Amino acid sequence: MKKVGKPVFFVVVLLIVMITTLSFVGIHRQYGDITTTYIKGAGDVRWGIDIRGGVDVTFSPPEGYDASTEDMSKAQAIIETRLINLNITDYEIYPDMEQDRIIVRFPWKSGEENFDPVRAIEELGETAMLTFREGAEVDANGQPAGVTAENIILTGADVERAEYVYGQYTEGAPSHFVSLVFKDSGKQAFADATERLQGSQISIWMDEEIISAPTVNAHIIDGQAVIEGQFTAASAAELARKIQGGALPFKLTTENYSTISPSLGEGAKNAMVLAGFIAYIVVCAYMIWQYRLPGAVAAIGLAGQVGLTIAAITGFFGFVPSFTLTLPGIAGIILSIGFGVDANVITAERIKEEIRIGKTIDGAILSGFNRAFTAIFDGNITVIIVSIILMGAFGPPNSLFARLLKPVFFMFGPTTAGTIYSFGYTLLMGVLANFVMGIFACRMMQRSICRFRPFRKTWLFGGEK
Amino acid sequence: MTNISFTGLSKRFFTLSLVIIAVILVASLVLGVQMDVQFKGGSIITYSYEGNLDKEAFAKTAQDLTETTISIQESTDIATGRGTMVLTLPGSKSLTAEQMVAVTEGLQAQFPENNPQTLSISNVSATMGAEFLAKCLTAVAFASLLMIVYVAFRFRRIGGWAAGVMGVVALIHDIIVVFGVFVLLRIPLNENFIAVVLTILGYSLNDTIVIYDRIRENKKLQGDKLSLAELVDLSINQSFRRTLNTTITTVLAMVVVTAVAFIYNVESIITFSGPMILGLISGVYSSICIAGPLWVRWRNYRDAKA
Repeated sequence: MKKVGKPVFFVVVLLIVMITTLSFVGIHRQYGDITTTYIKGAGDVRWGIDIRGGVDVTFSPPEGYDASTEDMSKAQAIIETRLINLNITDYEIYPDMEQDRIIVRFPWKSGEENFDPVRAIEELGETAMLTFREGAEVDANGQPAGVTAENIILTGADVERAEYVYGQYTEGAPSHFVSLVFKDSGKQAFADATERLQGSQISIWMDEEIISAPTVNAHIIDGQAVIEGQFTAASAAELARKIQGGALPFKLTTENYSTISPSLGEGAKNAMVLAGFIAYIVVCAYMIWQYRLPGAVAAIGLAGQVGLTIAAITGFFGFVPSFTLTLPGIAGIILSIGFGVDANVITAERIKEEIRIGKTIDGAILSGFNRAFTAIFDGNITVIIVSIILMGAFGPPNSLFARLLKPVFFMFGPTTAGTIYSFGYTLLMGVLANFVMGIFACRMMQRSICRFRPFRKTWLFGGEK
Repeated sequence: MTNISFTGLSKRFFTLSLVIIAVILVASLVLGVQMDVQFKGGSIITYSYEGNLDKEAFAKTAQDLTETTISIQESTDIATGRGTMVLTLPGSKSLTAEQMVAVTEGLQAQFPENNPQTLSISNVSATMGAEFLAKCLTAVAFASLLMIVYVAFRFRRIGGWAAGVMGVVALIHDIIVVFGVFVLLRIPLNENFIAVVLTILGYSLNDTIVIYDRIRENKKLQGDKLSLAELVDLSINQSFRRTLNTTITTVLAMVVVTAVAFIYNVESIITFSGPMILGLISGVYSSICIAGPLWVRWRNYRDAKA
């Protein structure tokens, strides 16, 4: 076999150092206020909600209500609007049309000490029945009474859209108002009502709560109306949002939610990162103690393996989306540090054996690495199968492996607990990175370094002194 | 190379394994198998508080607000140093978001000086829990099926279906051990259990394959010079250091994780890495001490009968 040149060792080490450093640190350029990310570092990792805190909730229509696909996509749009209204933009939403469920995940609102996540859940699901009723009669408890209780003119299902507008509607100064467009289903009823009720009120209700009670000024036949009054921009926008959001004829209920505060997760993350560093040092120390020079080479390869795994999580390049990393995900990286030395153990054991029966160092190294690939491939294929199943079972419904394993899990809805998915991913990436580092990089380093005279001592490979 | 007669010691290994399995089965009958709210449904709420909080009064208020008999546990959040109260609702009772808000606000109104805040909530309805459990069991069943198919494919050239069956016996051994760790340590079964079981399935089978592969290779080299027991012993001893050292490094890594998680009180990781350690040990033990020797026994038994 061709000899590997002396500089190869340094080239490989340099490459590993570069990849590992880059994957931890990244490359950013600060230009004024804007930071451009070229290479993503560990600081750009998207942490799972078990680390940065957040909410995981599954909404469904009330029991017994058979929601149509249209209903569900509307409900999804409403939840999205509400999330944005709550100033939550970094959310994940997964509708499941077959099981009539919507899974929403969002992080804890940053900078809010007393953010009550359950209240946020309540607000998101609060898609109440919107009704337009005749008059504005209320009883002592604020409930609709009299003709208002009896005569529902329209429901939210008849609303095409409701928008906040700022402009000149009537003569005079521009003002804030809400523009309403009804569907064909509601045009006639609205036309009849506005004809009959000119000069008196039509009240708009969200469930049992009155949200507006405008006076009818005109007979409206084209289904396009305007609510004006003493609005501020905020109050007009809120009313428009409520009417728009109310265009869903059922309420979203939930008995499935988990929340975790960021203070719990932050400490846990730091602990796990610390555990990762200690585990790396312990494993490397063990390898060097057991195998001397090949152990030291293994330590370098292992650093590269962790670097590659982290690069696979961050997406590495600025334009590649990153992968959510959870606590079990970090545990998966650490586990693959332990698994990862398998390749080095096999070759180092072989080298040791061959040297003890009197072979030369070069011959020993060659035969040591010869069998490595098949042995590692054999050993890792089962772990690869397992990690793919883990990702398929616990992954979000739109992920590759969840779609791949859909025939297996077809009976079940998407999984709401999302922390194990990340474990499957880091396990898989760890194994793949191990192929690159544990086999190819280590072989090149080993064959190159033993061409230096100081390293050509059988003792360094486990032989007698 | 070591020189241990694993087949010679097989009686002791089998006895040890049977005792362990018996202990686990008895323990799971006596102690019962706990399920996490993820699987059975239910509600666990953790509040952080300031100052001194009267646990009994807090529990009483929570009972009144939820109209159930809750159980309550006191703990400390290491990160912030604040005290925490963990409320668990009975059985698989869960709360809607509205009810949950009412409970939290009720507690805040009753104990304003302690400023109770929700630290974490896990609230799952019984039907969703059952569905998730079924999905997880399907995942384990599917993984086992794939492993058996792989074993059948891989072992065809080694020892035929009998070797494959012994490999699967070793896997079942490992699943029982991981299950036993959860039962004996009183950890409710949750998604971590599934993750550990699947990982150990992959890991343990890989060790078994390495050993069987050696058997195949040695058979080719040695022909019929060695008895079956000698052949298996030779093969196990040849791969012994590799198998052992890879397991040691992995166990070391997981011991570090468990120790750090224990110091920082990261429960979700302790219940993951702890059972993983014992699963890894069981995996290497079952590959070395059960799968190979058991296969030898079966072959000898069959040859004696023929």
